[in-house]
Amino acid sequence: MDLISALESLEPELEKGLDQASSLDELEQLRIEFLGRKGRLAQIMSQLPELAAEERPAFGQKANVVKERANASFEKRRDELLAAREAAALARFDASMPGRKPNKGSLHPDTLIMEEICGIFGKLGFDIAQGPEVEIDHYNFEALNMPPEHPARDMQDTLYITDTILMRTHTSPVQVRTMLARRPPLAVVVPGKVYRRDSDLTHTPMFHQVEGLMVGKKITMAHLRGILTAFVRGVFGPATQVRFRQSFFPFTEPSAEVDISCFLCGGAGHLGHDSCRVCKGTGWVEILGCGMVDPAVFEAVNYPSDLSGFAFGLGVERIAMLKYGIGDLRMFFENDLRFLTQFGA
Amino acid sequence: MLLSLSWLREFTPYEGTAEALGDRLTMLGLELEELRHPFAALASITTGHVVSCRMHPDSDHLHCCQVDVGGEAVLDIVCGAPNVAQGQKVAVATVGSRLPDGTVIKKSKLRGQPSHGMICSERELGLSDDHAGIMVLPEATQVGKRLVDVLDLDSEVLDLSITPNRADCLSVLGLARETAMAFHLPLTIPELALDFSEDSAALPIDIQDPELCWLYAGRVISGVTVAPSPAKIRYRLMAVGVRAISNLVDVTNYILMECGQPLHAFDLEKLADRRIVVRPAREGEHFVTLDGQTRLLNSRDLCICDGQKPVALAGVMGGLESEITESTRHVFLESAVFQPASIRKTSRRLGLSSESSFRFERGIDQERSIWALDRACAMMARLAQGKVHRTLSVNQAKAFVPAKIAFAPRQADELLGLALGSDFALEVLKSMGCQVESGGETWQVRQPSWRPDLLRAADLVEEVGRVFGLDNIPPELPAMEFSLERAGEAPSDFAFWQKIRHWAAGLGLNEAINYSFVGHKDLDLLKLPQEDRISIMNPLTEDQNVLRTVLAPGLLQSLRNNLAQGAQSVRLFELAHVFHASQSSETGARETGILGLLLSGLRNDAVWPYTPENMDYSDLRGFLEHLLDALHLPPARFVVCEEHPYLLPAIDVFLGEERLGCLGRLLPALAREYLAHEAVWLAEVNLDLLKIASEKASVHFNALASFPPVRRDITVIGGRDLTVGSIAAHIQSMNLPFLEDLAFVCAYEPEGSDERHLSFRLTFRHPSRTLKDGEVDKERNKVAQSLINALGVRI
Repeated sequence: MDLISALESLEPELEKGLDQASSLDELEQLRIEFLGRKGRLAQIMSQLPELAAEERPAFGQKANVVKERANASFEKRRDELLAAREAAALARFDASMPGRKPNKGSLHPDTLIMEEICGIFGKLGFDIAQGPEVEIDHYNFEALNMPPEHPARDMQDTLYITDTILMRTHTSPVQVRTMLARRPPLAVVVPGKVYRRDSDLTHTPMFHQVEGLMVGKKITMAHLRGILTAFVRGVFGPATQVRFRQSFFPFTEPSAEVDISCFLCGGAGHLGHDSCRVCKGTGWVEILGCGMVDPAVFEAVNYPSDLSGFAFGLGVERIAMLKYGIGDLRMFFENDLRFLTQFGA
Repeated sequence: MLLSLSWLREFTPYEGTAEALGDRLTMLGLELEELRHPFAALASITTGHVVSCRMHPDSDHLHCCQVDVGGEAVLDIVCGAPNVAQGQKVAVATVGSRLPDGTVIKKSKLRGQPSHGMICSERELGLSDDHAGIMVLPEATQVGKRLVDVLDLDSEVLDLSITPNRADCLSVLGLARETAMAFHLPLTIPELALDFSEDSAALPIDIQDPELCWLYAGRVISGVTVAPSPAKIRYRLMAVGVRAISNLVDVTNYILMECGQPLHAFDLEKLADRRIVVRPAREGEHFVTLDGQTRLLNSRDLCICDGQKPVALAGVMGGLESEITESTRHVFLESAVFQPASIRKTSRRLGLSSESSFRFERGIDQERSIWALDRACAMMARLAQGKVHRTLSVNQAKAFVPAKIAFAPRQADELLGLALGSDFALEVLKSMGCQVESGGETWQVRQPSWRPDLLRAADLVEEVGRVFGLDNIPPELPAMEFSLERAGEAPSDFAFWQKIRHWAAGLGLNEAINYSFVGHKDLDLLKLPQEDRISIMNPLTEDQNVLRTVLAPGLLQSLRNNLAQGAQSVRLFELAHVFHASQSSETGARETGILGLLLSGLRNDAVWPYTPENMDYSDLRGFLEHLLDALHLPPARFVVCEEHPYLLPAIDVFLGEERLGCLGRLLPALAREYLAHEAVWLAEVNLDLLKIASEKASVHFNALASFPPVRRDITVIGGRDLTVGSIAAHIQSMNLPFLEDLAFVCAYEPEGSDERHLSFRLTFRHPSRTLKDGEVDKERNKVAQSLINALGVRI
């Protein structure tokens, strides 16, 4: 066989070999066989001196063409095989492997509720006010129209430090401190810890309240209803209804307990055939106490008598229990991580 | 307050249901807590007629009865009671019915004789302790009727929660007034006729302090026969939670519940000198109360005395010695009004609260005191065949003076945000029992004697709102007035604390909230000083008798709770106040805001792809460094603290010259007390100082460098006492012009060697050109040489 035809026969054989090569390794073997230093092309080329001098240029040209075409074919096949390998690898990619997860942090449910409440009142134009947790009897009781031996003191069992210093039983003394420190008009909310000498299934000796106070000229009970309606709709949804029940607090008059339409059963009192567990079938859930500031309180802080205002106070744990469906109050202060991490950050 | 619906109906013709009444009263401020059916357990008991009764052939005490219960057949019932007899009307539990104790009656045979039911005693029916024999009903009783209906039992009782201002509603009479007002019904007080069949001289009544006892009145009732009260009275008292005792005592309780006036019956023959002295107790005087307890009195307790000694603790409880007994023949019945505060003081001090003291504390209708006394006398005459003496013993030391209130009806509209008008206000006040002079803009309103809470115009506004219904006020948002006075004020502590809380939660820490109080023993365990603690005077338990001076005890308690639940990684934070005694504070307490951190156990909750390593100093310090950075504060200095009561090592954290707090590892012996076998790292940082510092911190933009940084690592080898801080401080002190950053890379301590290898990375950058390798190498070598010279280390 002459060298030209040897050269020409190389190409179809190469094509066939490329088609058969199913891996990059086989492809490399093939490349060495044809194009390696001792490969078939090299062997043919080594016979070049045997050719007549006038035949050599044509042969050389031909050999170059074959070599280039062969290289191109190899490249093409290599790309194909690489793409196939990536596709195969992708098919095996385990997307179900867990992520490199950072630790989960959490905020206490009381914190989340207080933030939500203060945020809503902030939007309504209320400032934050705060005061001490150890309080003098005067601010906690007397200035709030509860002189010594007033039977209303029974409503709040008190932890005393001395005869005249106590753990505040509500956030209301901050009302007094705020009015003494600031001139009307004012609107504040007071988040904080409060203390009662009480411990059972539904009471802990420490819990959280948010108190609200608004004082100005011509503030009415209709305004109180408006503000509280806006508040409960912010927390429990826009369809929430508010019910005012006449009640008594020494520092407000008139006073009311506020119920909201049950957010679980929508006020129906039942879910299907079952009595609603949240409102116990009544359709209403007690949520806070409120009223118009008693004139005796204004007198205690030397505010003019032509002012009016309202105040309200709500239990943070109670709202958290309602909102998150927590059944046991004591869990709030046991700090079990399985509890703490359920509410958010 | 337990209100029987049928008792109420004697005072006002309310025809509606108990539920409807409860709903209305609730909206009027008298909250229905529960609707009770005290005799529900008797629902299946019927009435019967004993047609025949013969002795059981095989028993010496059983009777075989035939009882007609209105059915087709007469029932055979074997009965063991000695008093059963032919012709009686009796209470019968037929087969299938259930007794109050849960027993279900079955068909049975007693010694061969069939028995198809049970004839019941009062005890078996839960009506009294009497089990001497079966309950015999009046002859006129119809057979086959429900026992509950035949006895006319008070089957519906409203448990109402009465707020402290509504003293008047602690009686059937008061609640009847509210009901009549609410439903536009008349008040129909059933009058009791009182006949005076005897007379005797009044007992002298000496009231020593008219401020403490405003009225003291009494009557003598002679020739009484002490016996159990009639069934109707006993069952009614039972329905409202009062135990029946004897006719005389029952009458005092009956009138108390009905009219709200506490009464006390003395055995007249035990009153020395037949006189009454109302005086403060002597300091240290002893007195035995009805319950048999000896009480130590002081001069703030008010006593009712006879000619020689105390016979009652005024308004709180009677004395054992002068109490009514079965042999009492003559009674002195007291009706008085005492100063509420005085009664409350004594009641609270002795921990002795009674139905009487509860009402005296809240206020009594003085105008009705003698009326109530006479009503009780009339009942005693009827029930105990007593003869009531005509002459009243009375001393009114301080008459009731009704408040005269200036009231403008527009005040109600203005405060409530309504336009009700004066006609409505007038109607409300009149229905309340107020006398109103209603001409002109401002009215004169006279307080009713039974409403101690109506003293000021505001109290009348409340009544107008209450009757209109606070729930009927349409909501409206106020126009808010804002003042420039507060513009630009620093954010509240609350806002600052919230920011820190979000920072901590974002870094994977979990927020805890612990009680502000702990036990002294918890603070002692941590060897904390005792002198600046604030103790609780009346703690609930020994575990809560002092305010915490550090957050550690609470956080450690939380750690223990979590370890007990098998937690492997505990990373808690808490923001709260700690409390120290302070003379300069008006409350005697200095309250400091603290951020507490506790780390113990594994660094990561997830297993994959982390190596399971415990948290250590670098974790805790890293959080603090990150916090200061997040607040734009300069790096803190961490200085080993030589002495700390419960941390070792303990490291003080300084911001400039100010000590922010401390961190360290809990002593292992203490950690074991809290179930921790791994290292427990604690930090406490003063939030008040942090807030002040962060308010001063300002943020300045640094232009972004446009030329590349060049980095060089350097490893310093020295003795085991070589510290990262000393090397860093030395390099920083060189003030190299282009050194942009110095970072610690790693520490290596080869085994079997006393050396420490500390590697650092130096980052150089020139603001206006690219640094050349040669220049940077020169700088690095300068650092190396300087360290060798200054610290005697190798590089």
